[in-house]
Amino acid sequence: MPSGDTPAITVRGVTKSFPLGDGRTLPVLDVEHLTFAAGSCTVVKGRSGSGKTTLLNLIAGVSLPTTGAITVHDVNITALPEAERDRFRAQHVGYVFQTYNLLSAFSALENVMLAMMFAGAVPARDRRRRATDLLQRLGLGPRLSHKPHRLSRGEAQRVAIARALANDARVILADEPCASLDARTARDVLAEFLAVARDPGRTLIVVSHDDVMLESADHVLDMAMINRVPSSLPVVESVR
Amino acid sequence: MTHLTVAMRYLEGRAVASVLTAVSIALGVALVIATSLLSRGIKQSFVEGTTDYGLVVGAKGSPTQLVLNVVFRLASPTPNILFGTYETLRDDARVDVAVPVAMGDAFHGFRYVATTRDYFAAFPWRRKTFTVATGRLFRDDALDDPGYEAVVGADAARVAGLKVGDRFYEGEEMAEYPLTVVGILRATRSPDDAAIFFSVPSYWAMNEIARKMPQKPLTAVLVRAKKMSDLPALHRELNVSADTQAVFPSAILLTIFNLLGLADQVLRIVLAIVAVVVLLYVFLSMWSATLARRREIATMRALGASRVTILMLVLLESCAISFIGGAVGVVVGHAVAYVGAHLLAGRGFVTDPFAIGALQPAVFAGVVLLGVAAALVPAVLAYRTDVAEHLAPLS
Ligand SMILES: Nc1ncnc2c1ncn2[C@@H]1O[C@H](COP(=O)(O)OP(=O)(O)O)[C@@H](O)[C@H]1O
Ligand SMILES: [Mg+2]
Repeated sequence: MPSGDTPAITVRGVTKSFPLGDGRTLPVLDVEHLTFAAGSCTVVKGRSGSGKTTLLNLIAGVSLPTTGAITVHDVNITALPEAERDRFRAQHVGYVFQTYNLLSAFSALENVMLAMMFAGAVPARDRRRRATDLLQRLGLGPRLSHKPHRLSRGEAQRVAIARALANDARVILADEPCASLDARTARDVLAEFLAVARDPGRTLIVVSHDDVMLESADHVLDMAMINRVPSSLPVVESVR
Repeated sequence: MTHLTVAMRYLEGRAVASVLTAVSIALGVALVIATSLLSRGIKQSFVEGTTDYGLVVGAKGSPTQLVLNVVFRLASPTPNILFGTYETLRDDARVDVAVPVAMGDAFHGFRYVATTRDYFAAFPWRRKTFTVATGRLFRDDALDDPGYEAVVGADAARVAGLKVGDRFYEGEEMAEYPLTVVGILRATRSPDDAAIFFSVPSYWAMNEIARKMPQKPLTAVLVRAKKMSDLPALHRELNVSADTQAVFPSAILLTIFNLLGLADQVLRIVLAIVAVVVLLYVFLSMWSATLARRREIATMRALGASRVTILMLVLLESCAISFIGGAVGVVVGHAVAYVGAHLLAGRGFVTDPFAIGALQPAVFAGVVLLGVAAALVPAVLAYRTDVAEHLAPLS
């Protein structure tokens, strides 16, 4: 179990189930107690459908647990009104999605600057310089003005990483950031991600099955061990 | 990056749909602007044209037709009255000024108006002033001594290319009676700009039918009474006669305004249709854009954008497109009014295609508000987009 002197994130008695529309609900997640130490890097692994994305969404405050509470840097985000949770997320949580989810109408640089605009933490006049800087550190100096459709998958994912780091968030979540990349590119991107993102003041939670990640992580969490909902309930199949 | 740049970028991102929406808005706005400018101008022309004389005396028939024909030269010609009617009115003690008018053929489409110099006189009560730009007015001929001197309205002179000293006639049978230009009038912004004036005796000599008539004809007599209180009596007496009628142009003005009231109704319907089209277009365009964009919306939310921010982005985008469409529409509307004004000028109407008033800001603000209103439902759809559900395909 990951633990540290001061947990940055605490997940306590959290369950999540989805309504099925026919009156029944589908239980997906049931986690008794989980902490992530500040400044640590945790890799989450588990089979498909085991609730990894659901867990990250809950920690990001993108969705709410059915029961239980999640605390991020002493803030119980499950108790926050939605607007404040949005603001909290904008400033303190960077999220790299399973698919790149870049905004198609905007250039690489603008995608990063948009995250700053929504958070409002970086002063407007510093945004361009900071975004350029981040992208350059990820090797995207020559791609600043490219729209997502003109970026390779590896480049797009680097932009997504830069965007997650745009506000210098204390918590970075990454959901299989390299699942759709070929093995070599995945390794490169992950290595760069760690190089840029790892920081004593920053807590990383990365869903990944990549050796690079597993080796450099402080902790490895297996969903099968922490989620009391088995990942292949028959009702799950009927939903799909 | 500001929220406005985000909205504009989204507009650019779906350029074809955006342009189509903006064009439809622009067309609607242009339609409204042009119609109101032109109808306002037409109304104004009527007011200015009808109010100088208290009575118009002409042949029995439709009063509206008489006024339209004599004052605006619009309706088909009315039958003749006798010159004697003019002489009687001229010598009547109650009459201040009586001006005979005979209208007949035309030169290059510019109507011939036979009258006396009184037609142009600067009476103190006249709203309209005539000034000779070059040359002089025609001579008031003796009844049996036509001088064939013509004074040409500004538009007629310009379009037909007539200059002082020119001799002209239309049709071979008129070659015997050429008119000589002695003067060109300054523009009056009225139907008179498109007329060619000369003396009544010249008209009688030129017109084949008039030549043969023992009693010479006129089309109408314009009458100004010395006292307003004499008008009803004059009106009654002239209407008792079997051949003549007297008409208060101001009463006709009311009739015409009723017709224009109909035009106002048409304008109102146009306005309603335009409003519905704008609403529908913006609604459809924003609705489909929002549906197509749910994943991006979810992404922005996950990046920390609030629901209100998402709502505002949609409203801002539709506001921007209505703003652009509206602005283009106002410009195009004036261009259309400009062309329309030229066409109307040929019919003696003077309209100002660049009249600036409450119209432009009202229409512009109206269309922007409408655009924003149309985007309310799509904006709420965007507002309610579930983040986790649309963030990624389920694993
Ligand atoms: N919005 C939803 N509605 C219904 N079921 C969902 C929803 N989101 C996730 N699930 C279900 O929850 C389970 C866990 O999903 P997820 O957290 O995405 O798994 P993982 O990321 O580990 O592959 C899956 O069986 C999925 O079908
Ligand atoms: Mg997943």
